[in-house]
Amino acid sequence: MNNKKHPSVLNKLVGVLDKVEKPSRYIGNEYNSVKKDAPLSVCLVFPDLYDVGMSHFGVKILYDIVNDLDFAKCERSYLPWPDMQREMKDNSIPLYSYESYTPLDHFDVVGFTLQYEMSYTNVLRALNLANIPLRSADRGEDSPIVIAGGPCTFNPSPIEDFIDAFLIGDGEEGIVEMLEAIRSGKDRSDKLRKLSNIEGVYVPSHNNRVRKRVVHDLKRSWAPTRQILPYTEIVHDRGVVEIMRGCTNGCRFCQAGMIYRPVRERSNDEILDISFETIKQTGYEELSLLSLSSADHSQIKDIVSSLREIPYTSLSIPSTRANSLTVEIAKAIGSVRKSGITIAPEAGTQRLRNVINKGISEEDIISAAKLAIENGWRRIKLYFMIGLPTETDDDVRGIGHLIDRIKRMGFYDLSATIGVFVPKAHTPFQFESQIMPDEAMRRFKLLNWTNKFAKLNFTDPHKALIEGILSRGGKELSYVIEEAEKRDLIFADWDEFFNAQRWMDLFKEYNVDIDHIMGKKSFKDEFPWDFVDSGISKGFLWAEYQRSLRGDLTVDCRNGCTGCGVCPNFGVENIIHGVRE
Amino acid sequence: MKYLFFYKRYGLLRFLSNHETMRMIERILRRTGMNLKMTEGFHQRLKLSFGQALPTGIIDRAGLFLISTDEEIGQEFIGKINSLSPHGFEVYRICKVSEKFELGRSVNGYVFSLIFLEEPNIPEGWKIEKYGKIWKTSFFVAFNSSSPRTNAYGQYLTLRESVVFKETFNDESACCG
Ligand code: SF4
Repeated sequence: MNNKKHPSVLNKLVGVLDKVEKPSRYIGNEYNSVKKDAPLSVCLVFPDLYDVGMSHFGVKILYDIVNDLDFAKCERSYLPWPDMQREMKDNSIPLYSYESYTPLDHFDVVGFTLQYEMSYTNVLRALNLANIPLRSADRGEDSPIVIAGGPCTFNPSPIEDFIDAFLIGDGEEGIVEMLEAIRSGKDRSDKLRKLSNIEGVYVPSHNNRVRKRVVHDLKRSWAPTRQILPYTEIVHDRGVVEIMRGCTNGCRFCQAGMIYRPVRERSNDEILDISFETIKQTGYEELSLLSLSSADHSQIKDIVSSLREIPYTSLSIPSTRANSLTVEIAKAIGSVRKSGITIAPEAGTQRLRNVINKGISEEDIISAAKLAIENGWRRIKLYFMIGLPTETDDDVRGIGHLIDRIKRMGFYDLSATIGVFVPKAHTPFQFESQIMPDEAMRRFKLLNWTNKFAKLNFTDPHKALIEGILSRGGKELSYVIEEAEKRDLIFADWDEFFNAQRWMDLFKEYNVDIDHIMGKKSFKDEFPWDFVDSGISKGFLWAEYQRSLRGDLTVDCRNGCTGCGVCPNFGVENIIHGVRE
Repeated sequence: MKYLFFYKRYGLLRFLSNHETMRMIERILRRTGMNLKMTEGFHQRLKLSFGQALPTGIIDRAGLFLISTDEEIGQEFIGKINSLSPHGFEVYRICKVSEKFELGRSVNGYVFSLIFLEEPNIPEGWKIEKYGKIWKTSFFVAFNSSSPRTNAYGQYLTLRESVVFKETFNDESACCG
């Protein structure tokens, strides 16, 4: 830990908390937060409001792993809401940690989690509030080493000028090796050199290529059970148990499904053990089972029936599959009928669902809805996307017909969220283009007639475009992101702060070639993320893309390897505990 | 059995809203693992009642909550509950009360204090005392009439000092400790 003296943040903090909205989101000192002394100090920053960041599971995992090390301690920070940022500026309060109220620039390591591209400007704002030079090149011996992890790091290019080292992929083992390297490095450049030799770590100034990090199995000891309890009401205020990582469905639009391969399930017994421990340590009244697609866990029925036995504890399972099993599980956990059931058909016609390899049929969807009705649900939420590859107006109208058909089954309340598809890096659809906002608006209009009987919620197509640019662009975007932060385009994921026009003006000023970034690509074209090896070969992604255009399905690789390359590349395999019926 | 808990909430925890305080206490109680009575219905919650709600920002030395349980608990429970609480929350007394006890019927009101760093301009008739460099005034507020706001008189701190029970509640005899 650096030995710089710092003025007491805490004293100044007390003076401003009476003036801000929801002061409890800034006070730290939550139950189960860890206060310790150690030679190496790390502060993990979730670059969004506390209410959002506290719900994030990845931070919980790393927090415990680092705090279990003898030589390191881990604290946390979040981006304060603008009212608090103003107070902090006016009173010279730097961004501080929630455990010891230490300014962030006094830490040895500052780590950001990059969950969504729209938070890039938030990262820069956090660095500014922390008085840490934005660009790696401007940081000296006194500055913390700034690291980053999370799904966005699979295309680090747009933000790589600001980050000293990225940890790409599973973080549990990599973080420990990184901290050891930082601890043993003589000076900044020696530390960076050592970091660059770690598997899964990308140091922009040292590496030309990087391969993602994979853990073979989810160890019991990595499951965080002493989860920190917020005082503030946060987005998901409940205990979380990760039951499975990775997904083998092979939906072609889904980046998480590609980059988190292979599947690693935790066993029923272990999940039970972790759940009991989490409840005991937190006092939470609700447990959430986390995974990309919980209905796919081979022991999901057993898990749900054992967990239901925990007294006075409700269960929640974010559902994804649009089939009967999802409804059966929802029924088994006794989830509140009035909150409605959620299913995600993604596309309106079978042809298009085949293109995206969403392995469900119209019949699956209808029988799921029927089962929901039979079991007393009267509210239903549906998720769709427009702008999927090969989509025609008939496919879009198909969304309307499906909504109509389901509504007629007897739901009194149907809401449908319709997003604009963003073709993400490392997916078979990375070769595809994204539809522009005008076209998206035209397609949305094809659905307006369903407004009469359903609540339609169209996501902002400009937001989708900006997200697409930030996720598919290259290094040239660093200046745009830097300027966007200066112009206060932060909290871009929050509607009250989102300003599409100002973003579009910015892209224009900086000559960002939107058509090039968002346009169709061929196999030979280079992507800014080609140097990041997810284990899935570009050839496999291309072949999957070709299959999609033909409407060919690719099976779930639980039922037989489909040859993506991850398992042989990393010497790993799908870990499945039960036998699927 | 019914138990009345007396607690303090101070330091940074004074910035909790009333709702946040209640949720924190509910979870502390759940962590103790004690067998508490639950409400009926689908979403079962702890059967728990609180003293009068307090605005955000006030230091509380007179917090109260009431629980029902079939477990016998003694003063040693104070240590247990405090070891499962965040810094800034502290139970300092537990009283066993009769089954008929209700907070609304037993509490007469609270004594509040305001602390000033400069000589204050306060309503006439209020008694103000000077201690070293601070000024302090205290007054009684009847149950369910509004608590002073943290910015009402330009005070530096607002405290809820103590609870005043109605005569019908015999504090000493009801206490198990
Ligand atoms: S290598 Fe085969 S089994 Fe492994 S994740 Fe890829 S498709 Fe699935």
